[in-house]
This record gives sequence, structure tokens and C-alpha cells, in this order.
Amino acid sequence: MREPLISVRDLRVQFHTYAGVVNALNGVSFDLYPGEVFGLVGETGCGKSVTGLALLQLIPPPGEIVGGQILYCGQDLRTLPPAQMRSLRGGKIAMVFQDPAAALNPVFTVGEQMEMVIRQHRRVSRRDARRQAAEMLRAVGMPDPLRILNAYPHELSGGMQQRVMIAIALSSGAEVLVADEPTTALDVTIQAQILDLLVSLKKERGIAILLITHNLGVVAETCDRVGVLYAGSVMEMGPTTAIFREMKHPYTQGLLAAIPHAERRGRFLSAIPGSVPSGLQIPPGCPFHPRCAFAWDECRNEIPSLLPVDEGHWVACHLYGRGRR
Amino acid sequence: MKIWEYILRRLMLALLVLFGVSLVTFIIARVVPSDPAALWVGPRPTLEQLAAARAKLGLDQPLPVQYLRYLGSLLRGDLGVSIKTHQPIIQDLRAYLPATLELVLVGMAMAVFIGIPLGVLSGARRNSLLDHFSRLLAVAAVSIPTFWLGLLLQILFFRELRWLPISGRVSIETTLYQPIRTLTGFYLVDSLITRNWPAFSDALLHIILPAFTLATYAIGLSIRMTRSTIVEVLEEKYIVAARAAGLPERTVLFRLALKNAIVPTLTVLALSFVYSLTGAILVEVIFSWPGLGSYVTAAVLSADFPVIMAVTLIVTAFYVVINLLLDLVQAALDPRVVLR
Repeated sequence: MREPLISVRDLRVQFHTYAGVVNALNGVSFDLYPGEVFGLVGETGCGKSVTGLALLQLIPPPGEIVGGQILYCGQDLRTLPPAQMRSLRGGKIAMVFQDPAAALNPVFTVGEQMEMVIRQHRRVSRRDARRQAAEMLRAVGMPDPLRILNAYPHELSGGMQQRVMIAIALSSGAEVLVADEPTTALDVTIQAQILDLLVSLKKERGIAILLITHNLGVVAETCDRVGVLYAGSVMEMGPTTAIFREMKHPYTQGLLAAIPHAERRGRFLSAIPGSVPSGLQIPPGCPFHPRCAFAWDECRNEIPSLLPVDEGHWVACHLYGRGRR
Repeated sequence: MKIWEYILRRLMLALLVLFGVSLVTFIIARVVPSDPAALWVGPRPTLEQLAAARAKLGLDQPLPVQYLRYLGSLLRGDLGVSIKTHQPIIQDLRAYLPATLELVLVGMAMAVFIGIPLGVLSGARRNSLLDHFSRLLAVAAVSIPTFWLGLLLQILFFRELRWLPISGRVSIETTLYQPIRTLTGFYLVDSLITRNWPAFSDALLHIILPAFTLATYAIGLSIRMTRSTIVEVLEEKYIVAARAAGLPERTVLFRLALKNAIVPTLTVLALSFVYSLTGAILVEVIFSWPGLGSYVTAAVLSADFPVIMAVTLIVTAFYVVINLLLDLVQAALDPRVVLR
């Protein structure tokens, strides 16, 4: 088995708010291998974005990582000195965001922003940085890079802005790309182009991509493996095909059943009853039990651990625990 | 170039504004019950003297003719003569305007280089010790009375510490032994150009206290303004993105965030700059600074209308030009701003 680039172990994140302590992540573990797209899916507020920010040690206050490890090349990022962490950011681990129009600085040209990042990570002259920036723009499929370099973000379309973001993220040779809902703000046709770009970057450059999304269609198209996140815990994790064909967890089943299908037109859309618990009050036991049709006493009292049910396929559910499968 | 067209158009508009201001000040000057002719000839005039003065000042003409004559002399660059001192106003302005501009510019530089960095750091480290300190400083700076602060600084830096001179633009020794040759009227600039180093350092020492006293209000203003816009800008996604790209905090704050946050601060500073041209009277009096504020105040007290009108026009011109500059700076800083 290959070595993972990033191993997240039992990651716990809390936000200290006036209303109380919000448990955003309650022991999240997963591996990210080079040359794969690992999808992190879940509803709004399940902790997807926090996981992405935690990888870069950029959890905004009043949030903080309170437990667990984030191992990159065997090194725990939590204990890394700030200066080293900063050179990893953008240098080895980069991130792109949901809304490229908001994630690009409106008052600097694309070229200025790219040069700033490139020269932060490499000792190159301004002219070389500019040349590298143009190459990177071409690599992400931008026609006429020289014109783009002199353009301001608001002069570009949403799809082009996101390509620029990806170019900036990868301009300094990042091995890991955290993509937080990279297509959510884009038109459907542009979405497909950006996803294709991510997949081709994975293939050509062998980078590992953590794709954070709530869109199962995006997961099916792009991800090699998927983790299903619910209320700050991983419910199920495995190869994309296994998750879509042999989903085990009642929550995953509910999510997939809720996807509208053309052949089921006219029928009621299936929905999971209830709503996502607030991070202030995570239910005891399995966090999903109040909404689960199969829940029994054990589910209410005991947190299920993530156990393998198949090759690389893990489920955190008492239905499959301790020889019950 | 399009930008030149824009500037030209704005300057034409400025002429219109100046025309309006000249008309209004002229009317006010004639409506207010005071007799310029009486002021011109001095106490206990004879009727003949008064009549002669009236004829000389053109006061015997109908009002429209008087205004047109006034406008005509303005167009020739003649601002008129002070009724009280019989001096050409332009000559007075040549002495007072540079003195005031020098004082106000140095004060504004202090506001920019003290207020803006403090505001940025304060906004970046909210509720830190530095933030509490600079917020307190900001409130104190905008609320402290100028005359009191000026006197306090004089007591501290002149009487107690003996570090800085108490008043004036230069010391008597400099006037006697190292006189500054007047080129621009800005002592710092003139002494620099003529390489008159003793005079330069003397002028520099003299300007510190009055400029700082004048700047306190602007410093407080720019701390508060910068802090609040920086707090807003730091919430933006592109700041997270910049940090995620590994850019150091210094770059994030003073380059990426500040360029997005600085326009409101520059706006209030610019307005406070123009206000100070005539509003610095207290500082000028305390530090015996021969500036525009004292000049126009004396004119107001003696109903010396030509002087008042001239200074009003000058200050209006500054307002118009500064506003134009502000718009140009804003357009230069933010590409989304379109000048039209």
C-alpha cells in the first residue's frame, strides 16, 4: 500500500462562542494519498470546510483544534513552528475556495497576486515569477495568459477566476490541494470544466486533492474515494463505487435516496426526517440516531467506531459493529 | 488619454464652483453693514476723505459693475488690497500660505505614518493590549482640546526637557546668522534646496510641536477609521486565501488588506487637511506660527472683506483640487472605480 501524503487522526475542533462550546469536529480520521481525489461530503454545517481549514492550520478564532493529529510526511502540522507552517501553506498544501470572485483580491491584478505568492515560496526575480505565472495559467487551460496577468479579477468570468485561483494554488508546486466547494458558485457547464481540470491535474501532476462538496453528483464524477461527514464525525468512508453501490450507513442511504432522478419524476422526493444537529448539542451516542429509522438503545448511548466492512470500506454504525454484519 | 479629459472636465467644473463662491462672498461682503471706506481711511475721517476712498475702492459704482471689476481683477490674478493694511493680499498670502501648508502637510504626514499603522495593527489584533491602547489614544486624540495640548507640550518639551523650541518657525539665531533664502516659502524645502543644514534642522525642530498638536485630531481620526475598515476587510475571503497561499502577516495586513481599506481614511484626512488651512488658528496662536488662520481671523475681526474673500477663494480652490485628487487616488487604488 502506498504511503498517505496526509493522515488525519481523531481531529477535534471546537469553537468557543457566547452560546457555548460548538463541537465542529469530533474525531475525524482519514488518509489522503498522492494522485487521488478524496471527496468529503455532507450537509451544511457538518464540518467539511473546517476540516479543510484545519489542514492548513487556519481555523479562525474563536475556533481551535483541541485534539488529534494532522500528519504530513510523518510530521504533525499541529506542532510545526509557525514559520515552517507558513511555507507549507501554498508551498506544499494549497487551497481553493467556493467563491472565486471573493477569494481573489479585487485591487490587485492577477499577475501581481500570482507573483506575490510565487516569490514568497521561491527565490526568483520578478520577471521569472511572471513567466512562471504565465506558464501556470496556460497549464490550467487559460488562453492568452499574458492578457490575464494584466487583468483584474472583476474583469474575468467566474470560471476563469476559479482557474486563476487554482493556478495560484498550484504555482509553487503544491502536492496537496484542498478544494472547498470549488464549483458551487459556478454555472453547471463551467462546473464540469473545472472538475475536469482538477482530475487532469491529479493525473498529470500526481497531486492529492481533498474535494469538499455537498454535491454527490460532483463526488460521483471526480472522486476516487469518499468520506461522508455528519455532525463532525465520519459516518462512512470508502471507494466511490462502493459508496454509491453498496452504501451501508443509514445516513449515506438517506443522502443517496434524496438525489432526484429523471426516472422517478412526479414522485415525492425522499428526504431524511429531522435536521442536522447544532454543534452546540451533538446527540449522545451515534450523532445520527435521532433521525435514524434503525436506531436502538445502543445507538443512543454508545458512539459507534469506524470499522471496516470491506476492503477500504469503513462504516461507523452499530448495525455493522462487532460481527453483526 | 481619457484621464486627462476627466481631469480637464473636473477643473472646468471647479471654475464654476469658484465663480459661485466669489459671487456669494461678494454679496455677503456688500450686505453686511460695515463701511470699507471708513476702514480704509482710518479713524475720524473727513467727508472728502471718505468720498475719495469710496471712489478709489469703486464703491460709488453700481453693485454689478463692482462685481465685474472684482471678477476682472481676479482673472488677472489680482486678489485685491487689504482695506486695513493697504497691502496687496497676494503679497500677504505669499508669506502666510506656505507657512500654513508646511505646518499642515507635516501634520498630515504624522497622521498617515502614526495613525494608519496603529489603526491597521489595532484592527488586526482586536482586543489585544495594543488595540485597547490605540483605541484609548484615538478617543483621547480627537477629544483633547488643542490649546491645552499645545501648552502642555510646550511645558514638557520646552520648559522641562529643553528638547524643542517653544514657538516660531525658526530661532532668532537662524534668522540672523543662517537666514533662509526664500524660494518657495516652505522653510524646510528652501533650506534643503540651498543646503542650509543648520537652518533646516532648526526649522525641523520648530515644526515638530505645532505639527503634532495640529495632527492629534487627524491621528485619532485615522486610527479609528483605519481600524474599522481593516476589521471589515480582514473578514473577506481573499484574506483567508492569501494566508492559505502562505503569504506572511505583514504582506497580508499592510499590502493586501490596507490597499482595500485605505480610501475612507484618506478621505477624512484630506477633508481635515483643507479644514486645517484656516482652522489651525489655535495652534498658530499658541506657537506664534504666522499662518493663514491668524491672518484670516484678524481680517474677520476688522471686517477686512477683500482678505476674507481672497482666503475663502483659496480654500475653496484647495477643496476642489483635493477632492479631485482623492477621486484620482481612489481610481488608482481600486480598478473597479470608473471615472466619468
